[in-house]
Amino acid sequence: MLLVKPLEPDETAPIAQRLDAPWMRRDTLRKQHNTPHPRWWRQYRGEQTVRKRRDDKPVVGRRNFLKGAGLVGAAALTPAAAKAQAIAPKVNLKAALPGPAQLAADTLPPTKDSVTQSSSGGDFMVDVFRSLDIDYLAMNCASSFRGLHEAVLNHGKNVKPEILTCPHEEIAVHMGQGYAKMEGKPLAMICHGVVGLQHATMAMYNAWCDRVPVIVFGGNIVEANKRAPGAEWVHSAIDPGAIVRDFVKWDDQPTSLQHFAESFVRAYKIAMTPPMGPVFLSLDAELQENPIHEAETLRIPKLARVVPPQADSGSTAELARMLVAAESPVLLCDRLARTPAGMARLIELAETLQCAVVDNAGRMNFPSRHPLNQTGRRGAVISQADVVLAIEVNELWGALNVFSDRIVRTSRPMTKKDAKIVTLGTRDLYMKSNYQDFGRYQDVDMAIAGDGEASLPALINEVKRLVDAGRKSAFEARGKRLAAARLAMIEQAKADATMGWDSSPITTARMCAEVWAQIKDEDWSLVGNGIRITWPHRLWNFDKSYRWNGGSGGAGIGYTAPASLGAALANKRHGRLTLNFNGDGDLMFVPSTLWTAAHHRIPMLYIVHNNRAYHQEVMYLQAMANRRGRGINDVTIGTTLTDPNVDYATVARGFGVYGEGPITDPKDLGPALKRAIAVVKRGEPALIDVVTDPR
Amino acid sequence: MIRVVLFAAVLLGGFDVAARAQDAPPGDAGAGKRLYLATGCFYCHGRVGQGGAYNREAPSLAKTAVPYLGFKLQLRNPGGDMPAYAENVMSEKDLADIYAFLQGLPGRREPKDLAILND
Repeated sequence: MLLVKPLEPDETAPIAQRLDAPWMRRDTLRKQHNTPHPRWWRQYRGEQTVRKRRDDKPVVGRRNFLKGAGLVGAAALTPAAAKAQAIAPKVNLKAALPGPAQLAADTLPPTKDSVTQSSSGGDFMVDVFRSLDIDYLAMNCASSFRGLHEAVLNHGKNVKPEILTCPHEEIAVHMGQGYAKMEGKPLAMICHGVVGLQHATMAMYNAWCDRVPVIVFGGNIVEANKRAPGAEWVHSAIDPGAIVRDFVKWDDQPTSLQHFAESFVRAYKIAMTPPMGPVFLSLDAELQENPIHEAETLRIPKLARVVPPQADSGSTAELARMLVAAESPVLLCDRLARTPAGMARLIELAETLQCAVVDNAGRMNFPSRHPLNQTGRRGAVISQADVVLAIEVNELWGALNVFSDRIVRTSRPMTKKDAKIVTLGTRDLYMKSNYQDFGRYQDVDMAIAGDGEASLPALINEVKRLVDAGRKSAFEARGKRLAAARLAMIEQAKADATMGWDSSPITTARMCAEVWAQIKDEDWSLVGNGIRITWPHRLWNFDKSYRWNGGSGGAGIGYTAPASLGAALANKRHGRLTLNFNGDGDLMFVPSTLWTAAHHRIPMLYIVHNNRAYHQEVMYLQAMANRRGRGINDVTIGTTLTDPNVDYATVARGFGVYGEGPITDPKDLGPALKRAIAVVKRGEPALIDVVTDPR
Repeated sequence: MIRVVLFAAVLLGGFDVAARAQDAPPGDAGAGKRLYLATGCFYCHGRVGQGGAYNREAPSLAKTAVPYLGFKLQLRNPGGDMPAYAENVMSEKDLADIYAFLQGLPGRREPKDLAILND
């Protein structure tokens, strides 16, 4: 899904040649037409700044005058002093002695500071955004980045980046997470100093766990003497990156515009190199707001993308031998597909081997109805496997072991004792210590470092080279058995879905079946699923690279609504029908996402899976009460969202989004979906509130 | 061990509906429904016993093929992550009522009878 897009070829040209950089253009024109630089420029470069009055009498600027002749000027205030001046020995003054006009000027009130400026650091920053092809800047407005904000609007004309107005920083980051997984490139978000960044952190953690690039900026005022009393102090930090350093790949706080340009390009490069992840840059407000002082030397560095690392040839050959010789190999994948090529390559490997694929669905890795997709039989196929190849699997131990959440927590491996386990991926290449998203250590027989998607072509070639007629025949027989099992799973899913078909609250299976009936002939894209049971993957035909884009990563609630909107933003340009199943608990964290959807006219169908609870917690609490043999009827206290029930359709309408519901009768669902989809196809968001069974 | 044998027997088709009926004590399905909803069985298994998920998949219970003895064992001393229902929170009669309710649920239908499931 992550599509790597090359930048324009002329990346190395100086900024003035390849960008619409006004200050650079002005500088070139000045040289051509012999026009002097503006006064602020010459002052900064230490040149004399002699202003001309309307009467053409030169006036020495007050600052330069005071710099060289302040004491003399002060002495000249009295006639006696003026007389003494005439006989005073000659001293080496930097400025000429003041004449009458200067003396007069000096007796006037001080000249005001400049009230306008003809360049700004923010303008340059916008041009760096453009050089990196950043389409959007998601934000909740704040004074600590007003310099950049204004530059985006008036220098950049709100194009590349275009501002996305978000009522919460968590929405902005999550939009970036969903967008990047669908579009294959990051957007940027910017948040206020300290407090805005603190709002953004959970979403950044989700992106970190999900290995998704999001470029996060935060405003700051670095120099203490530049901060106004009050808010600017409590919203500044000496090291803002410390807040997020545990879950970003890299962070920096540039101290000059050139530093900014280099750090932005570096941050982009780091974020986009597998294993991908969010990055953070703190932006000094002075740097954004003030005039540019080093325009002639500023340049935007060349972005050279890192070629994803591939598995070495020796281990690839060894792995191919193991897979071809195996009787029951299993391909286990999670965040494999970075680009559309990822799914195609996994299909080719699986079909060459005619082996089982178990998809943890961290990305759109493998078609749901493919005969070799054995995800629904994961326990059976993993327990029978003699070789398990885990490709870009985040938490391998969890995928290969059964864990019991009992008083004494126990576990047992699912695999056979002599099964060979091989990992292929970038997971081992970059980890941090504090947050434990790496999971329990899993014994493996071979750990191959290399990007899964990039390493598959060589592995496929090696496997094909080793397959002889005998193995091919065995593979075909294996493939037929797996295909029969897959067909049986599909039929079982349909039969299971019939249970409680007409009941109210509506079963999640019925809801998914009704939705599938409405979208199956559309170019659809499911970008969020709050239903714990994977009914869509059991019932629907996920057959294209954009049908699905994975989960939150860090299981931080408040992901689904905004990340889905980010994915919908990416899908908009492709004309896809974007939808999600949004848990009601998730939506309660970030309901104002709906306003962003309406404001930016992002077509997106929200189907609220409204079980009126944080239901997983209901079950956890019941497990506690049962364990203690008491109070098992009261576990809804503190875990449910009732009394009053939330009317999400009304909430949606309040934010300017088409809303229908609450729908409690399954017969009403199909017609409501039809109406909502018509709205979405018009280019607007819509929401259907479906009151559902818990799971 | 008894539980393992019972579940193995179920998987091998060793019990049919008639055997389940003979095995189970008489129960009040109406009372069983109230208990099933009040004591949270439906949290994981669905209001109509269609199945669901807790930490892992929670099986369908509508017209369960598990005999009463196996059902009782699973509630009192469950395998997996299912919480235990001790006698002080769920009596023998409660178990029988819930079992009767589950046996009376409609269960699966023919998918071919539902047009939208036939794509």
